[in-house]
Amino acid sequence: MNALQTAATGMAAQDLHVQVISNNIANMATTGYKRQRAEFSDLLYEHLRRIGTQSSDQGNILPVGIDLGSGVKPVGTPRIMTQGSLSQTGNAFDLAITGEGFFKILMPDGTFSYTRDGSFQMDGTGRLVTAQGYVVQPGITVPPNSTAFTVNAQGQVSVMPVGSTTPTVLGQLTVTRFINQAGLLSIGDNLLQETPASGTPQDGLPATNGAGNIQQASLEQSNVDSVTEISDLIAAQRAYEMNSKVITAADQMLSAVAALQR
Amino acid sequence: MENALLVGLSRLVALERQFDVVANNIANLNTTGFKSSSSIFQEFLGSGAQENAFAPNDAGVRFVLDRASLLDLRQGPVQQTGNPLDIAIDGDAFIAVQTAAGERYTRSGALKINSAGVIVTADGTPVAGDNGPITLQAADRNISISTDGRISVVEGATGSVDTQRGKLKLVSFAQPQQLTSEGANLFAAPAGVTPQAAGANVRVIQGATEGSNVNGVLEMSRMIEINRTYSMIAGLLQTQNDLHNTSIDKLAEVPS
Repeated sequence: MNALQTAATGMAAQDLHVQVISNNIANMATTGYKRQRAEFSDLLYEHLRRIGTQSSDQGNILPVGIDLGSGVKPVGTPRIMTQGSLSQTGNAFDLAITGEGFFKILMPDGTFSYTRDGSFQMDGTGRLVTAQGYVVQPGITVPPNSTAFTVNAQGQVSVMPVGSTTPTVLGQLTVTRFINQAGLLSIGDNLLQETPASGTPQDGLPATNGAGNIQQASLEQSNVDSVTEISDLIAAQRAYEMNSKVITAADQMLSAVAALQR
Repeated sequence: MENALLVGLSRLVALERQFDVVANNIANLNTTGFKSSSSIFQEFLGSGAQENAFAPNDAGVRFVLDRASLLDLRQGPVQQTGNPLDIAIDGDAFIAVQTAAGERYTRSGALKINSAGVIVTADGTPVAGDNGPITLQAADRNISISTDGRISVVEGATGSVDTQRGKLKLVSFAQPQQLTSEGANLFAAPAGVTPQAAGANVRVIQGATEGSNVNGVLEMSRMIEINRTYSMIAGLLQTQNDLHNTSIDKLAEVPS
């Protein structure tokens, strides 16, 4: 009886669905987190009577056939890259991107990764780093005894040196865009990596060529919507239950068959 | 002599097939753009298994045969997702996609962009446009899809709106029932079923996907019905079997 396996694929798919939803809910308060969505498609069909085959020598054609599906499979958990809301933090090192693009981060192994989480810090040598201590690219080093760290909407970083009345420009932050943002690989720590699916990174200045603006003293909240997640969770749980009922029913039917032989 | 057993068996086999269809529907409760199926049965007259030469004709032996699994193409619920590349179709149309095996049709509008900027489905099949696949440029943003499927973007370099990125190929069928399910949310058109351009009443809704049109309550009640019928028929076969056993026992008893 195929129904047993079919229902098992359904339960496995809903299990994965709940896992994705629970990760979204767990990251509801994660800065720059983009929600994931589980997507499913149906599995292969067994064509017992194929539509369009001839049913007689007179050329009559079967208008409908018997297609028995074999269940469901998860096809992807793409990230939904909509803008999260901004929250004002008042901290000068907190940056948020409004619009498209990612901050570029230098990893300890020399590769680059990308993030929407702009909760940066200053390390012991004055460099602008992420919460994990990875250097934000292009590197910005804040000289000691300077005040009024400022990042404008175009990503220009400036400070006010002590005893000076004119700001000094320290550098220019870039924003990296990808043609297929959903194709980036999540590696945890709010970081994403380039893949063949994402396309090559295009570094550009903020607020130009489609890249977003930089907003200082703000952080981008996660774009998880609790109402959507909970209603998805309810749907997934119900679907899981229904699939388990199918297994129970299939079991009962098989036991009815087994009872024939006494 | 075994007709009752065989008729019962034909019913059991048909019920199992129907149950498989129901199980597939339930497994796809959350599959984007999935269309549920139902089973149709027909009577199948066992010719030669009856004798009509005498005045009261024998009752015909009628088996049951599953004839078709019928697609239910009703609109599924439209779920808002907010993702600009998610589209739901309101009306009797399909999105044409260009697979390696030829043109296929889907209602699943969870579209993506691949690394070359081509608009694809979740498993990477390019979506057919009116003039071939639809390709976006790297700096394009603010993708907007009009209700007739025209894709426009704001060009990154100039900031101007380009409405010529392409138009989704939306097709409808005079006989959509004849489409074959191929898995991966795709339908194939068999020979003789030709796609036509979708009518004016078809609307593309951007930022939403069409959910599965499987009705959980209906499928559950159908499943219970199948389950009970199956047990009942199995019981019938049991009775028939007992009858045989008894008759063999009784007939074999030699009167003393």
